[in-house]
Amino acid sequence: MLRADDLVFAYPGQGEPYRFTLEAMPGTVTAISGASGSGKSTLLDLLAGFIRPTSGSLSLDGVGLLSLPPETRPVSLLLQADNLFEHLSAAENAALGLPRGTPKADGKARVATALAEVGLSGFEDRIASNLSGGQKQRVALARTLLRDRPVLLLDEPFSALDDETRKTTRELVGDLTRRHGWHTVLVSHHADDIAALAEAHYRIVDGRLERA
Amino acid sequence: MLTLPRRPLRIATATGLTLIIAALIVAVLWAILDAATGASGGSRVDLAHLLRMTALQAGLTMVLSLGVGVAVAWALNRLRFFGRDLVVGLFAAAIVTPGMVVAFGLLSIWGRNGWINQAAQSLFGFSFDSPAYGLSGILIAHVVLDGAFAARILLARLDAIAQSRLKVGQSLGLGAVQRFRLIDWPAMRGSLPGLGAIIFLLAFTSFPIVLLLGGGPANQTLEVAIYTAVRLDFDLAGAVRLALTQIAVCSVVILIASAFTPVPSALSRSAQPNWRDARPVRAVQWLVLVLATLGFALPLLNVLYEGLAGGLFRVLEQASFWRATATSVIIGASSAALTLALALVLALGRSATAQRVGRTLLGVPAYAYLAVPAVVLSLGFFLLVRALGVPSGAAAPVVVVIANSLLSLPFAMATLGPPLDAVLRSRGKLIRSLGLSGWQQFTAIEYPLLGRDIGLMLALAFCFSLGDLGVIALFGTQDFQTLPLMMYRALGSYRSNDAAAIAALLLIFTIAAFVGLPRLIERIAHAPRR
Ligand SMILES: Nc1ncnc2c1ncn2[C@@H]1O[C@H](COP(=O)(O)OP(=O)(O)O)[C@@H](O)[C@H]1O
Ligand SMILES: [Mg+2]
Repeated sequence: MLRADDLVFAYPGQGEPYRFTLEAMPGTVTAISGASGSGKSTLLDLLAGFIRPTSGSLSLDGVGLLSLPPETRPVSLLLQADNLFEHLSAAENAALGLPRGTPKADGKARVATALAEVGLSGFEDRIASNLSGGQKQRVALARTLLRDRPVLLLDEPFSALDDETRKTTRELVGDLTRRHGWHTVLVSHHADDIAALAEAHYRIVDGRLERA
Repeated sequence: MLTLPRRPLRIATATGLTLIIAALIVAVLWAILDAATGASGGSRVDLAHLLRMTALQAGLTMVLSLGVGVAVAWALNRLRFFGRDLVVGLFAAAIVTPGMVVAFGLLSIWGRNGWINQAAQSLFGFSFDSPAYGLSGILIAHVVLDGAFAARILLARLDAIAQSRLKVGQSLGLGAVQRFRLIDWPAMRGSLPGLGAIIFLLAFTSFPIVLLLGGGPANQTLEVAIYTAVRLDFDLAGAVRLALTQIAVCSVVILIASAFTPVPSALSRSAQPNWRDARPVRAVQWLVLVLATLGFALPLLNVLYEGLAGGLFRVLEQASFWRATATSVIIGASSAALTLALALVLALGRSATAQRVGRTLLGVPAYAYLAVPAVVLSLGFFLLVRALGVPSGAAAPVVVVIANSLLSLPFAMATLGPPLDAVLRSRGKLIRSLGLSGWQQFTAIEYPLLGRDIGLMLALAFCFSLGDLGVIALFGTQDFQTLPLMMYRALGSYRSNDAAAIAALLLIFTIAAFVGLPRLIERIAHAPRR
């Protein structure tokens, strides 16, 4: 279980600080909603380690995470856009998720498997800038598969997609979460995303998380 | 925020390099100051007059070049025609065109025996006072070069105007004047102070053009005066006084300039809707463009014509020409490579630094050398090497390479810095959370993205060094000379056919390098990627 307990944080000059408490179960999607500017991305930054809380605790299965820098946290990240390096191919982008020192041949096979799992077999050599929005998000998900970290943080990952694509991409996220037992935290302000995917739902109101 | 990947090695290397460069500057300044206290007085330098003339010349150059730049950018932004890219490329090349070559080309058109006077002679039987010498000549040459440079930079601002803004303007039916006032001017205005400061500095420190066209002590820059004091009058005390004044004035200008936003180097273009101005306005635009293109291209074409027609074979037969060519190319290549290494270390370290103070400090090496122009720098090295007891002949090649790369460094940093910063701004979180190593980050992400910029930077540094006269002028000897120095000596001994041929070849080498190097490097950078 991913557990944040009273994480306190304020940007310089901010009056009342954020205080975040949340639990996320393995193999499930936990949704976060809230008005724009309410602090959703700030919450994900705290979980990913890009900013440090002034107090509180954060743990995964009882192991504290706060002392870890972003690169070693058991966390993968998927943002609304800019998830790929546009000049690299789909395979090269996905391969950035492989552990360092993976042998070449082994890596190639694993990249192919991961791309297949997100439905992008045969797109290995396509340059990222020539992929559609939905395909880009899938490549990023393939990279997440290869990294295989137990926590997946998604910040409005479907916002830039058309209705049809958002539906299939969202189903893919649900599938992968269940299959790999990830603790997925999804920021979204779309009620139907939340209804379709989330087992638990929090709303940010006045800087705090409320169960919805 | 911890969104920047942690790169202690990059920061440490860049900091070390900054310290080394700072130490070098201090040593150079110390050498100059030391010589100043050691030398006896009695210098014949008229500092007040020099300062007044140089400031007047640089101020006029700045105002005229900005005016020309705005007009040409405006015309080029509007007009669509076959060969437009070529014209834009021509103006872009202004930044690397050796001042020697432009000055020479202007002389052959406007000079005493230039086209214009010859035409006047044969048509009307009299000749003009040549405007190519003195203040007017210097101004013409500077405005040709710096006006073209300004036009290229300002055109980039106009070409980057958002499509939506143009569509709104077009649907409102704005006239040509309103369009300029409401859309073009706001897009250019922000660049003018920084651009103006750069042009002022370029003109204030101008060396070869003033040396060739100044026509004596009445119209000098501090740079030329320093050169004259050292090389011709052996007046070291005077040279040192001039150098210190030069550094002081340039530092003030840079301080003022740095208060404004710098000239953005990104040349992004938005697809522009086809929105033509009214017919009479378009006629004005064509007139501006034709005059500007002729003004810039004619002197250069004339250099090619005279050089290739006249003494080409005589020059090609001289062993000293091939030696000078080899020296020029080796020095250019070495200083381009050194510039790349310095700029990469500094820019990578700087982009990995989040704090303002750190970023400013790592940017200092670039700015410091803007304040210490070529002749001052080489004077400092000259004195330093002498103080260390090294024979100046042995130190010359090394000093020339170092001085040339340090002079290119500001342009190199301005080329490499913004794309590196942009990568980390948009993908920093991603790189950090993926835990990529610094090596992976460089080879997989930064290097392929920089391919074109690295090529551009190498080309700039190579061409600057190829056209340099300021550094080599103090260190050159009969056995150690580059093409510009050889050309200058040919002019000095009235072998103007030789000078013309060298000028033409220098121009061809410069354009070839400027056009070819970026393409070559981009090829290499992308080669392993199918
Ligand atoms: N680096 C920052 N420094 C200061 N304030 C910030 C910073 N980042 C975000 N904020 C502010 O914090 C609030 C929450 O931002 P954010 O978490 O991005 O909101 P959301 O993702 O819910 O739209 C906003 O008011 C925003 O302006
Ligand atoms: Mg947000």
